[in-house]
Amino acid sequence: MPIAGHPRASSISRRRFVSAGLAAVAAPTIIPASALGLDGAVPPSERIVVGGIGIGRRGEYDLGCFLQQPDVQFTAVCDVKEQRRNHVKSVIDRHHGTTACTTHRDFRELLDRDDIDAVLIATGPNWHGLMSMLAAKAGKDIYCEKPCTKNIVETLEHRDTMHRCGTVFQAGTQRRNLPHFAFACELARTGRLGKLTRVYAHPNGMRAMTSGWLPEGPAPDATIDDWELYLGPAAWRPFNARTLADGFNFEKGGGMVGGGVLEWGSHCVDLCQWAVNDCPPPVDYAPPRDGQLKCRYANGVELVFREQGWIPLGSCPVRFEGSEGWVEAGDSGKLVLSSPELLAGRKVEEIDGYPATFHVRDFLDCVKTRGKPRGNAVAACNAHLACHAANIAIYLGRPVKLDLETMTFLEDEPANRLRSEARREPWQA
Amino acid sequence: MSRIQKMLIPTMLIRELRVALMAGLMCLAGATAAATGPQATEAELLAVLRSDAPEADKAISCKFLAVNGTSAAVADLTPLLANPRLAAWARIPLEVIPGAEASAALLEAATRLDGRLRVGVLHSLGVRGDPAAVPLLAGALGADDPEVAAAAADSLGRIATVEAGELLAAGILESGSPERLDALAAAAVCGAARLHAAGQKAEAVALYAVVRAASVSQQRRAEAIRGTILAEGSAGIPLLVESLRAPTKRLANMAVFTARDLGRSDQADPSFAAAVDSALVKELELAAGEGDLARAVTLIDVLAERNATGSSESVTTALARAAEAFLKPIRLAAIAALGRTGNPQALESLLAAATDQDSDIARTARGAIVALPGETVDRAIKDRLAGSDPTALPAMIELIGRRRIAAVGELLPLLGHSDGGIRVATIVALGSIVDLDNLGVLIKAATDPPSEAEGEPARRALQEASVRMPDREACAATLAAAAATVPAPARVMLLDVLGMVGGKTALEALAAAGSSGEESLEDAATRLLGKWMTADAAPVLLAIADAEPGGRFKTRALRGYVRIARQFVLPDAERAEMCRRALAVATEVADRKAVLEILARYPNSATLTVAEEAQQVPGLEAEAAQATATIRAKLTPAN
Repeated sequence: MPIAGHPRASSISRRRFVSAGLAAVAAPTIIPASALGLDGAVPPSERIVVGGIGIGRRGEYDLGCFLQQPDVQFTAVCDVKEQRRNHVKSVIDRHHGTTACTTHRDFRELLDRDDIDAVLIATGPNWHGLMSMLAAKAGKDIYCEKPCTKNIVETLEHRDTMHRCGTVFQAGTQRRNLPHFAFACELARTGRLGKLTRVYAHPNGMRAMTSGWLPEGPAPDATIDDWELYLGPAAWRPFNARTLADGFNFEKGGGMVGGGVLEWGSHCVDLCQWAVNDCPPPVDYAPPRDGQLKCRYANGVELVFREQGWIPLGSCPVRFEGSEGWVEAGDSGKLVLSSPELLAGRKVEEIDGYPATFHVRDFLDCVKTRGKPRGNAVAACNAHLACHAANIAIYLGRPVKLDLETMTFLEDEPANRLRSEARREPWQA
Repeated sequence: MSRIQKMLIPTMLIRELRVALMAGLMCLAGATAAATGPQATEAELLAVLRSDAPEADKAISCKFLAVNGTSAAVADLTPLLANPRLAAWARIPLEVIPGAEASAALLEAATRLDGRLRVGVLHSLGVRGDPAAVPLLAGALGADDPEVAAAAADSLGRIATVEAGELLAAGILESGSPERLDALAAAAVCGAARLHAAGQKAEAVALYAVVRAASVSQQRRAEAIRGTILAEGSAGIPLLVESLRAPTKRLANMAVFTARDLGRSDQADPSFAAAVDSALVKELELAAGEGDLARAVTLIDVLAERNATGSSESVTTALARAAEAFLKPIRLAAIAALGRTGNPQALESLLAAATDQDSDIARTARGAIVALPGETVDRAIKDRLAGSDPTALPAMIELIGRRRIAAVGELLPLLGHSDGGIRVATIVALGSIVDLDNLGVLIKAATDPPSEAEGEPARRALQEASVRMPDREACAATLAAAAATVPAPARVMLLDVLGMVGGKTALEALAAAGSSGEESLEDAATRLLGKWMTADAAPVLLAIADAEPGGRFKTRALRGYVRIARQFVLPDAERAEMCRRALAVATEVADRKAVLEILARYPNSATLTVAEEAQQVPGLEAEAAQATATIRAKLTPAN
């Protein structure tokens, strides 16, 4: 009978061999105490080994959240830009007190590594969907920045791939792991607002933009800035420095329909979806009118995108209205309720901003338990389907109607043609 | 301006284009612009393709043909498939234009192109999903170029007819390099999943079996095993169990992942989910018996998730047994799971654990009890409260509060208990359940506590109780009345509570405090009014700011007033008038500038008037002129 408090090796712990022979190594390598699991540190065998891909400005913030976790070992970084590779490596090495972090230009090298358990994907949106699917096929768990996909077909493929590959996936939408947003969604979901009638999301933009082909500039050496890899699945166009610099917007929402509501919609619609108990996306979408884009779920609840008329509660606000009350919340951490009774005596922690720390922790816990993090593939799928469908309505300038069985638009060939977009060879999921 | 720009940019979009350029968003090359709809006709777009227009124009034309193109466009798109720079652009419409012409063009191109151009065409054939492409794809499976072979495999997996599946299986059996095998296996797994979704379970299982038997990676094998389990329904349970016990991490992880949802949504076989639960329960008992903590805890978590909307008696019993296990991690997981599954049958087991000597066990058990639904649970707790076991008293008091059980009368006598811990627990619980009639009990405990150790919990309880009172105004009236009778420090505390409660009566109380002449009260009132969440605090703040030049909290009050003007949804005239009044009251330059910024942020005729007036204010001329100019510019329609 095993002794209480001395568990057998977990079937999900890492098998990492720390050789007793290390002490005999000739070079005076200092092995940090943390590497040996001393001083309260998590032993290497219990750490989650993570690689980062496309760590830019936002990604560096996410990286910081990962590095705060005691059970994370960040071991590799990949970027098409040499300057970013080197910079992020220095950040990681400084944190771990080693020089062990490897750098890669091609993400496939990183995905090929068997020692890496999970990846942080913080490239521009051009790559999010496809790279996530390739990472899943390589057996990696994934934390991926939003928006996670470029179109409806890619969204469905993404969800199916995560399931088929048994991948723990967390979309970088973090707000489901913030207490005031979680509380607001709980009020809606559990009937405390009565019968839910309307949910509101702030899109921070409702304009379809078709990305295109900018004038050619002198192409850099690929070892410095790899334009081919940067383009990835996007249709070919000549090198342009501005395109390279604007990864945040490049091919967001795909090359045809464009980002539209996705900027804040990825977040706000995700919360609205949680409020409606993660049901499938709305079926009806109308283009913007009087500053609002209205959608309707199959159960009659309305999803309304609007940019005005909010209580000043910070960015990414949401509002849920029911027959017996309403609640509004935003990134300030504050809630406004139609009645104090809705608080029911609970103390809801107000966390300003939208820290990703809790979201990262949720992801890492699920990597260990194989559970579903809050921003999981299904949640991300439903929210993105709604945003893409809304963007199609904007692009076409008329209403569209989604069939939930097939995820196609009913008797609407133009809308259906916008459900997908060809990927540049040789890239495919 | 190029031809394509003239065709694609209606005049009204030019301004949009400028905005997009300024914002640094992606837009079309120099000459071309982002369109918000398919403006050009097919004929116009085809004319571009046929012309010597720049490649940029042709690329964008291809894109818009994805919406506007018909089979008539195919002939002009097809030659572009051989152009490395434009091939992907051409495939955008060719993937989605319906009809045999597009499929035929891709099939033909696949026979004459090489390398990556061929790869792209093969991918597009897969996307189109035309079974007629299967023979060609079969031929490409054996291509020397591994990327071509992989593309063919991938597309066969997408098309996923029985024939396609058989071709993939044959390819796997022929083996080859690890890279080719992996591509075939990955495609086969996808194809099998599609066959299963189409109702062809036997074919799906057969294809999975080929993958499982091949020398594929652990990941592919795990995918195939998962697919088999899903396809075989309840017959797949033994394979699930075997996989849960697998020595390899990847396979075991896949099994856990699969177990979480297996059978839960199978409406065709309602007993499937129960059969999976039963198998998992057996595995749990095995793992617990072997002392395999990690496996046992994982299985408990899986059972809890599977039964989150209510568990069967057998699952509850198994969890209850685990809750009494020897090993603490298993106990903790099982106790938490009993709460998650919400079966009131677990109550006795949890009540016993709620008073366990181990504080972790006790705390987890109490949390689980809070999650159990139903009035029978409430009654059982009240019965235990009234019972004679003193060790159970603190736990029962806590549960009454956390479950919000109507038991104010039962708790009030405990406020006089000899044990300070019991008194504190009672205060905390009353914070959750006390009604307005008994709010005075908490007011007294908070304003006149026997010790600070009891004062702080009482203050928090009062806050909690006050903010949840259904009649906010009556609650505020009670608090305000109490505030008039207590010393200043306690009065400040009550003002804080009033600030949390909000509403008209609270606002009036804060207004009175704000002009009371007593520094601590004015300090508290202006602080709270500065965060008020409704605009009706504005006149109160203005009155405080205006009351006495050089008043201690004048600046703070004014800034609270300005905040309302800046952040709240207000009619234009009202906001402008607020700005006018703020300018009249403000003495500090920074505050005046802040007001001018608000005027510029909300450009309309009313704010323009105020800005113009402000130019007469000595020392503000330049900034006011700037604000005026900004407003005028925003109000002027663009050319």
